[in-house]
Amino acid sequence: MSVRGLVAVAGVECSKLAAQLKVRLLLAVCVAGPVAFAAAIRAQSSVPADTLFGRSVKESGFAVALVVLGFGALWVFPVLTSVVGGDLFSAEDRYGTWTTLLTRSRSRGEMFAGKLLTALGFSSIAVAAFAASSVAAGLLIVGPQPLIDLSGNVIAPATALRRVTLAWATVLPPAFGFTALAVLVSVATKNSAAGIGLPVVVGLTMQLYAFVDGPETVRRLMITSAFGAWHGLLAEPPYYRPLVQGTLVSATYFVVCVLIAYRVLRHRDIGGQR
Amino acid sequence: MEEPLALEAVGVSKRYGDREALCGVALIARPGELHGLLGPNGAGKTTLMRVLLGLVRRDAGTVRLLGQALDSTASALPNGVAGFVETPAFYPYLSGRRNLSLLARLDDCARSRQNDRIDSALDKVGLAAQADDAVGGYSAGMRQRLGLAAVLLRRPRLLFLDEPTSSLDPAGARDVRAIARRLADEGTAVVLTSHDMVEVEELCTEITVIDRGRVAFSGSVATLRALAPAAIHVLHTSDDRAAFSLASERRGVKAKVSSADEGIELTAGIEALDAYVIALGRAGVAIRNLERRARSLESLFLELTGHDGGSEAPATAPCEVPDAARASLVVS
Repeated sequence: MSVRGLVAVAGVECSKLAAQLKVRLLLAVCVAGPVAFAAAIRAQSSVPADTLFGRSVKESGFAVALVVLGFGALWVFPVLTSVVGGDLFSAEDRYGTWTTLLTRSRSRGEMFAGKLLTALGFSSIAVAAFAASSVAAGLLIVGPQPLIDLSGNVIAPATALRRVTLAWATVLPPAFGFTALAVLVSVATKNSAAGIGLPVVVGLTMQLYAFVDGPETVRRLMITSAFGAWHGLLAEPPYYRPLVQGTLVSATYFVVCVLIAYRVLRHRDIGGQR
Repeated sequence: MEEPLALEAVGVSKRYGDREALCGVALIARPGELHGLLGPNGAGKTTLMRVLLGLVRRDAGTVRLLGQALDSTASALPNGVAGFVETPAFYPYLSGRRNLSLLARLDDCARSRQNDRIDSALDKVGLAAQADDAVGGYSAGMRQRLGLAAVLLRRPRLLFLDEPTSSLDPAGARDVRAIARRLADEGTAVVLTSHDMVEVEELCTEITVIDRGRVAFSGSVATLRALAPAAIHVLHTSDDRAAFSLASERRGVKAKVSSADEGIELTAGIEALDAYVIALGRAGVAIRNLERRARSLESLFLELTGHDGGSEAPATAPCEVPDAARASLVVS
């Protein structure tokens, strides 16, 4: 596998994504969603008091970004990360284009790596757009007031901005884990609906488990737990253990899913009798 | 010094569950050769093409493309090897030109030369006027032309074409045959599948006939012609009984009565047939219809593939992966 080949495949995949309306729409929603949320919060009299930092959304724009982050962990990130990862491989089956792609000068390894890189790149861009829009919407619509952290301490705006940015960055490992899961389902089922839908269902099931009084070890092994690992960054003193555990769990999901997906693709007969 | 082979496949076998798709198939193509791969539907032609293009894993055998060993499905297709299987597929939401541009990027084609190559390929296949339309609106024939343009971008020295004229109108088919012939003249080995004996006979110099996953014949068109029986005709007369009796007495004419309504099936060379027809007139038997059922090569093809007018297909022996010697051509 060559870097040149990987870059060529990723470039082609990016061009294909850029030409798709759904991808542009999704990024537009990532940008517009937090703005609409912040505007709605400012317009209404009540606050989402039962949500982490929900009581502070009218007092600090940073709280808006953290409420969006908490909501995203529940519903949005599994969808965002699956939309491209879950379709990138199965779309070739849908269009019948594997034969066209694999009769060029790129190996299956390069094809797989280039597509995976594109899926991870899109997940990163979507999370970054969502994060940037949330922070910007909070600061512009509510304001850059100091934030009260989970321990009750007041954090100055500059420190709050740094911690909120870090909190959003902690979403990336589980987002990549979900992307890898979507890629695996997409490769294995050759079906985009399954590739996009199944990781979302898995995410929701794991979130539901979090509400059940089950064994703590199982809870820690849930990739969705990593979406909440940022809480430790907004306590005084900060604690990082959930973050480390979440990252390790995410990395395990990522590696296992990627290895299985690559093996399946590498050994698949393209267009042969199934 | 012997010219290196463009394609050398030996003992290629592929099994899908209990079904043997290919059994010890050998296929050789030299530079500048137009090699026809013939066989009835389900014979294994397309599976063989997929194996040779690295799309399907083979269970046994070796494949060398332009001198390079093909590592089943793991390695990239060597530069200079191109082809398509069945109707080529593209991204429907992109234009024909954009599709080609993306494929050229996968081939490491320098951007400075990319547009010229794409324009040239589109021009050669007669798709220049529709190049900027979305592929979603293309007909099957246009997609086939675009598929041909896509393979031309790779400047092939070994080209696999799977039924390249199947979706084309007669003019389009003629253009594709002309392109294939020109490429062969320039030294490209072209392997094309078809079940149209006439097309293969007209275009190819070498033929391999595959039936039920096995090579039934491989050799030159001239060899095949030498082996071919006389053409088959079907005759209807005013007195089929007398006509049959007369045919039985004549040398060089073989007659068979299929059923009362189907007339007499004649196997005869053209001179023997002429003499027989004249004799029928002299005997007062009127000819109501005389039509050719199969050309001579078609007759042989039907014979080779066990589809010669209702005869039961012979049972195939279980596939034994042949050694190099046994994998040699059946007829060469």
